Amino acid sequence: MAAPSAAGLRWRLRAWVPRLTQVRWSRYNPSFIEPEVNKELYQKPLEELTEEEKEKLELKAVQPIKAAPPTVSSSVFSDPMISKFTNMMMKDGNKVLARSLMAQTLEAIKRKQLEKYHKAPEDEKEAIECNPYVIFHQALKNCQPIIGLSSITRGGKTYQVPVPLKDNRKRFLAMKWLITECRENKNRRTLMPEKLSQELLQAFNNEGPIIKKKHVLHKMAEANRAYAHFRWW
Amino acid sequence: TLRLIYTTTAVQRKNVGASGPEKYTEAFIKKQIEEFNLGKRHLANMMGEDPETFTQEDIDRAIAYLFPSGLFDKQARPMMKHPSEIFPEQRKIQWGEDGRPFHFLFYTGKQSYYSLMHETYEKLLSVQKYQDQLTAQDLPPEKEKRNLAGSRWLTKIELEEMLLEKLSDNDYLRFIHLLQKLMTLPCGDMEEKYIQKFTREVPAQLQKVVIEPLKYDERGVAFSTGEGIRKTAKATATVYDNGTGKITVNGIDILHYFPVLQDREQLLFPFQFLGRVGKHDTICTVSGGGRSAQAGAIRLASAKALRSFVTEKEVEFMRQAGLLTIDPRVKERKKPGQEGARRKFTWKKR
Repeated sequence: MAAPSAAGLRWRLRAWVPRLTQVRWSRYNPSFIEPEVNKELYQKPLEELTEEEKEKLELKAVQPIKAAPPTVSSSVFSDPMISKFTNMMMKDGNKVLARSLMAQTLEAIKRKQLEKYHKAPEDEKEAIECNPYVIFHQALKNCQPIIGLSSITRGGKTYQVPVPLKDNRKRFLAMKWLITECRENKNRRTLMPEKLSQELLQAFNNEGPIIKKKHVLHKMAEANRAYAHFRWW
Repeated sequence: TLRLIYTTTAVQRKNVGASGPEKYTEAFIKKQIEEFNLGKRHLANMMGEDPETFTQEDIDRAIAYLFPSGLFDKQARPMMKHPSEIFPEQRKIQWGEDGRPFHFLFYTGKQSYYSLMHETYEKLLSVQKYQDQLTAQDLPPEKEKRNLAGSRWLTKIELEEMLLEKLSDNDYLRFIHLLQKLMTLPCGDMEEKYIQKFTREVPAQLQKVVIEPLKYDERGVAFSTGEGIRKTAKATATVYDNGTGKITVNGIDILHYFPVLQDREQLLFPFQFLGRVGKHDTICTVSGGGRSAQAGAIRLASAKALRSFVTEKEVEFMRQAGLLTIDPRVKERKKPGQEGARRKFTWKKR
């Protein structure tokens, strides 16, 4: 019952503190896993699952899971690409405005496509795509560059070296070009939704300034082919 | 007779740090244990309870009653525990009277760690030999599927406690990799027992939370309540059965209370996930936080309330969709010397 001495206790009872304080950290314990919101994955009956999926399910049952963020929902209307695009369009944290602009853009696309649909002759009616989500995805895919350029300094001179891009980077570049194009190259009177819908429809048909920008980038990469061996990764 | 030789105070001062952490002799620890048991009986007599059946919980309660303390740190309050929990386990002296160490790996510095690696590697080799024997006799190798989900490896701290020795991260990782390699081979029963020494059970499911049964109100309609918090907003939701899908917040319909579409989507998320959009009526109260935080709090509250209406499997699906976890993200504090939580002041060269 003697009082324990401080020297002997300290290393035993002190919680583990990392040597360096973390810069990139989150409020969740690192063992937490991202949630899976898609309803259809949960509606598959047990027999149809493969061995791997059964093992994954068992593992998931033991691991804690993070809370679903407020932008994500299991409804048909929430799309991860559209949320990402809305966030990139957002200024000063005004999500309400960004979401309403996005909604107006999709509505404008639908209206334009419906106009074309009703004016077209019978045989071309099936070729016209009316779903604005499909148009958005296809337009983004058409805008994505395949190779990018990266500046590498060798012996004092900086060279632009062609470099393969990751999927995330391609999507980011496509969305960024779309947004900057719509913000800068428009008339003072046209509103963002209208300009955006115009650009998206042009990108869907592989025309327009963004597709041109992508081709220019590809040509530059082809021109700098000689420096491709500078890349070490 | 002895003669006092002149010494300086510097020489007379003991070098406290050189001897390492305080070593407790066995006799000392035994005395502590006897004193603890005697003290336990005295305490039981003082509290008027039976000395024979006085458990550790009773001791803790008695000490908290007799020595109330308002200190925040639980470890700083007066405590009375068995000496084995208070004094850390230490190694007894590892060498004999002639100075020769007992263990053959003493001079490596981490004798128990290296001896453990040695043993594990021997087991690995023996398993490989057994496998080769089986293939030589053309018998098929035994394949057993071990349940990976219910167990986890020892953490570094637990291993350190087991070996009574400090380990580095690399050492710990090497040991774990060796164990994993041993486990992936089709091993026999002997290896399983050895490996089980280094695994701990993980509670089978994270459904430790008890799901409350449904309650029935005066009209005979089933209902259940749930509470949710998000970022300073607190919400309580009561979900009634046989409803039309109306949701009322603080007496106001959601269409008027949440003019933004995103918040209403969040409120309907749990119902849409379970496919019960038009079947339940919800009445919620919410306070604190902002617009989005209140929506998140009500979403959590209604998801918790819906657990009573739904099968266990669907509760597990809700948990895996992230509907039942409290979001721990809060506003990060502003630090001194910076303008905000992360933003630094403008850097001026001079």
